[in-house]
Amino acid sequence: MDVVILGLTALTSLAAYAVGRHRLRLPARALRPAVDRMLEGLGLAVVFFAANLAIGGAGILLGRAVSGQFVSLYVLDDSVLLVFSVLQGMVFAGWRDGRVPEAVR
Amino acid sequence: MLGLGALAALLVCAFTPLPNLVSSWLALPARIEPAGAIVVLGSSIFPDGSLSGTALRRTVYALRLYRRGLAPLLLFSGPPGSGGRPSEPAARADFARELGIPGSALLTVTAQTTREEATKVAAELRRHGVRRILLVSESQHLRRANPLFEQEGLEVLPAPADLRIGADPEGRLEVAREIIKELAARLLYRLQGRA
Repeated sequence: MDVVILGLTALTSLAAYAVGRHRLRLPARALRPAVDRMLEGLGLAVVFFAANLAIGGAGILLGRAVSGQFVSLYVLDDSVLLVFSVLQGMVFAGWRDGRVPEAVR
Repeated sequence: MLGLGALAALLVCAFTPLPNLVSSWLALPARIEPAGAIVVLGSSIFPDGSLSGTALRRTVYALRLYRRGLAPLLLFSGPPGSGGRPSEPAARADFARELGIPGSALLTVTAQTTREEATKVAAELRRHGVRRILLVSESQHLRRANPLFEQEGLEVLPAPADLRIGADPEGRLEVAREIIKELAARLLYRLQGRA
């Protein structure tokens, strides 16, 4: 299973590299900055995820104390929160990148 | 830097045996011996009232322990029902009855948290003169639950329903997630002065 997943990802990555280099004529030197941007987005996703968990957890505990109603902390144990955090990280990283396309200048 | 760390953590958790090793290290070893009651901790049920995978696994394991004659009582605890949905303990007791467990052997207690389960279960078992229990949950959860039940004056024999070993990348990530969740819960209990 592990080999299949790693092998499949490596295969499609190589195919994407070949398409990028030969069909789309993308420069090889632009790959490293692209990886850096992905890692930056991922790092920001971690920050958003931690913030979502911390603020959500504090809000639930505060809500319990104030209202007396029980809300489980397990509502935060949802994969969708992780996906949303990744989206938040990607958008924020792109925004921080600060490159405004010609069309909107 | 944080992104690189996250990527490295993802790869290590998904493609190395580290989560399984940590899970085994943190797990409470089973101690299966005769007791006064088998206590099955709560998990969750689906909106249609059927048991979730975790709830079912714990229940089936407890039924096997009961069938082995390890205790005369089976106590199911867990969240109360809402919106017309039965409580999880009631759903489990119905399931046990359908599989031939006599109603006289079944007890139920509703509680929202593990701490509340310990308090209410101990009170219920005191009424039945039970001091020694087989406690059924996942091995990670038992590490946190055991001391809470011991604080209530019960002698606790851990009976893990699942060792939480991931066999593939997704399974190992699930194990890592359970470890993080349990460690966070333990930290919260410690901060609240509960364990």
